[in-house]
Amino acid sequence: MAKYIIKRILAAIPMVLIITIICFTLMNLAPYDAIDAMTSPKMPPETVELIKAKYGYDQPVYIQYLRWVDGILNGNFGYSIVTHQSISTDLAVRIPNTIKLILPAYLLSYVLAIILGLIAGSHKNRWADKLIDGLSAVGIALPTFWVAMLLIYFLGYRLKLLPIVGMHTIGKENSVADFLKHFIMPFTALFLSFLPDSVRYVRSSTITQYSEDYVMVQQAFGASKAEIMFKHVCKNVLLPIITKLGMALPMLVTGAIITETIFGWPGVGPYFVKAIQGMDYPIVMVILVLSSVLVILGNLLSDILYCLTDPRIKDLG
Amino acid sequence: MKKAWKKMLALSMALTVVAGSMAACGGKDPVVETTPEQTVAASNETSSQEAAQDGESQKPEEGGNGGGTFTYAIGGDPGANVNVITTSDRFGLMTIKMIYSPLCMYNADGINWFLADSVDASEDNTTFTFHLRKDVSWSDGEPFNADDVVFTYEAMEDPNNAGWAYSQLVYDQGATKIERVDDYTVRFTLPFASAASLEMLCNIFIMPEHLYKDVTDFENNDINTNPVGTGPYVMAEYAPGSHVKFEANPSYFLGMPSIDTFVFQIVENSNTAMMAIQSGEVDAWVATPAEVAQMDLEGSNLTTYAYSEGRVAYMAINVRQIPDEKVRKAIFYALNKKDINDAVYLSEDNYLTPTSFLPPISQYYTENVELYETDLDKAKELLAEAGAENLTVTLTYSGSDSAQTTQATLIQQQLAQAGITCELNGMDSTAMIAQLDDPETDIQMFLNGYIMGIDPDTFLPLFASGGDYNRSHYDFPEIDELFKRGRETSDSDERFAIYEELQKTLQDKATFYPLASNNRLLVVNNRVGGVEEAGLVPVYTFEDTSRLTLNE
Repeated sequence: MAKYIIKRILAAIPMVLIITIICFTLMNLAPYDAIDAMTSPKMPPETVELIKAKYGYDQPVYIQYLRWVDGILNGNFGYSIVTHQSISTDLAVRIPNTIKLILPAYLLSYVLAIILGLIAGSHKNRWADKLIDGLSAVGIALPTFWVAMLLIYFLGYRLKLLPIVGMHTIGKENSVADFLKHFIMPFTALFLSFLPDSVRYVRSSTITQYSEDYVMVQQAFGASKAEIMFKHVCKNVLLPIITKLGMALPMLVTGAIITETIFGWPGVGPYFVKAIQGMDYPIVMVILVLSSVLVILGNLLSDILYCLTDPRIKDLG
Repeated sequence: MKKAWKKMLALSMALTVVAGSMAACGGKDPVVETTPEQTVAASNETSSQEAAQDGESQKPEEGGNGGGTFTYAIGGDPGANVNVITTSDRFGLMTIKMIYSPLCMYNADGINWFLADSVDASEDNTTFTFHLRKDVSWSDGEPFNADDVVFTYEAMEDPNNAGWAYSQLVYDQGATKIERVDDYTVRFTLPFASAASLEMLCNIFIMPEHLYKDVTDFENNDINTNPVGTGPYVMAEYAPGSHVKFEANPSYFLGMPSIDTFVFQIVENSNTAMMAIQSGEVDAWVATPAEVAQMDLEGSNLTTYAYSEGRVAYMAINVRQIPDEKVRKAIFYALNKKDINDAVYLSEDNYLTPTSFLPPISQYYTENVELYETDLDKAKELLAEAGAENLTVTLTYSGSDSAQTTQATLIQQQLAQAGITCELNGMDSTAMIAQLDDPETDIQMFLNGYIMGIDPDTFLPLFASGGDYNRSHYDFPEIDELFKRGRETSDSDERFAIYEELQKTLQDKATFYPLASNNRLLVVNNRVGGVEEAGLVPVYTFEDTSRLTLNE
């Protein structure tokens, strides 16, 4: 098994490298560059050359790439073209804000989805299933931004129960109660957007397991419903769900772009959107690399968890 | 784009003010013609967070003298690295305005004095001697004097610093000379006489020499993030993506502001901001007419203030793509300006209708030009003369800008009535600006907007042949000559005649079709007083935030 895990990790390294190369190349192909942003047409050409040299843009592209990768490995992500601030400093503030919002919402929806999905799947076509499945279908169809606006309209504006904007009331940065009040609406909007999809996933996986021969065998042996469910079906249903957990890793960075923008939550979402609109390439590159690396890590994590939980896979290694 | 952006910035600001562009409407109005997103992006500036409303009221607890907290919601993040030399976007400049003071502010209402209290101009209008206030100190206690002024202007003139006002101080004929006469007197000598010189010297904020003298990179340094200024407020806290908090500066030379805490709350989504201002969570926000129409102003205790930024929204034709003047005129005669503006701005109260490139509030503005009143027969006639029946043209605009999208749709319909097929090409605004700057671009007609200075000379980069922002890419020596004469004339009647001629000539060329000069609508909670006294000005919103008050 150790061999399998090592193999997976080794396979992930070139993937990450390839992703950085792709991101860097795409950004280099874009029609403007950081130098255009830092210089003005009035500047004498010598000044432009000086600035180019200062930031290393006078070097061949592969050297620029190596310097960039070197910077990233050392935690220096470069500077925003627009605001001139250090990207690593900005992300250090924003990523925790995003995680604070997404992690609880995702975990709660994950746990609830497993429960609801198992209930629905084991009661296929009965009223509980119809209710859960029906509501999930509606939930999938509801756009997040609309749900968020409804929450704001009713809870924030009509009833004036909750604050609408931001993460804290100015001056109450250390108050947990104040944070929670700001947290409820975006959390609910996100939770509602994560839940239906996962419920349906668990449900269909449960239904598939119930149609397997081993369930029929158990029934023939006279096993109780609970026994079939918890001793056999459950285990098999949870396997693919582990994959989903790994796959969710990149969401910690980019999973709440819409929600964050609507609620003025100071996370990665609005930062990324602004950077794209403003053609702030260094930021876009860093976030692209970050989220693609998380995809790879997520897959790696799923593979490893899989391997730990499913003895069959070890043999494949 | 960045380039375009920055360039613009430089330019526009250079022009003395900020040039705005793009979007029409409250929505996105970047300061310069550049990408709306960056500079402004969001549509609004709102303020947020105030107190008293939500479940259990939260009153600003901090704050010293019981003056409360004013929250202004803005649509973008000003960033922590604000510097008087390099910052040129709208929200960054609003932040600068809170912390620093200029010698004087030159706006449509004339000149207002800050760090200087008077100026003596030489007979020939080339030398300006500013007398500085003697009672000013920096927020760290150091006294303010002429060294700070000389230092700031010299930094602005150094091309390596890429200062936004570079082009309004340094000309082809040479750079403006700055001399320290004594501790409280500074003399500026311009390379040539111009009636617009005083405007060029105002609106530049002064930074402290004693802190910045060893700084080599004005864009990025520790002093920017812990600024020391002479403005009405001092920066208390910057939270990326969330807010900037300012505390009243007790030593402000015009008197300590009555509101203790001033907050720029970043709210990028305009629907959210609209809810927040109605719930009272936010005290002020800039809205579009359509947004104001959706709001319950009375029930939410809100008042709107309309003010002009001297912005002009326009359609222009690229002369290299449509060289035939008759065809261009036919297009103009087919348009109905009023219908377009009423559709975009809902009511005549929200806009003025310009007839030339100058905003109607300009003292040089004239209506004595070709107005291109709608005349379909004439349009068809001109097309026939030019042999251009069945003409097909393409109109390019910023697809994310709702005002421009509406304008484009109406233009398409109106042109169809004259038998002209108009294809619409809504694109990303940054990409559009970049393409427009290319003389070989295949863009035929486009929609855009700008905010330039008060003096007509500040419009030169937009309309002189070969001007940095001449996106019609024309070459009309007569226009250049008029600009040159206008700059060199100081008699105001004579100047008026020159600029009237210039406006006429440009309209006759039929490359530029002014659509509207739209007002900016600031929505303010009624608990805020002193908005008129504080003065509403382009870009910065308030000319002097220290005059605002809160009635609890």
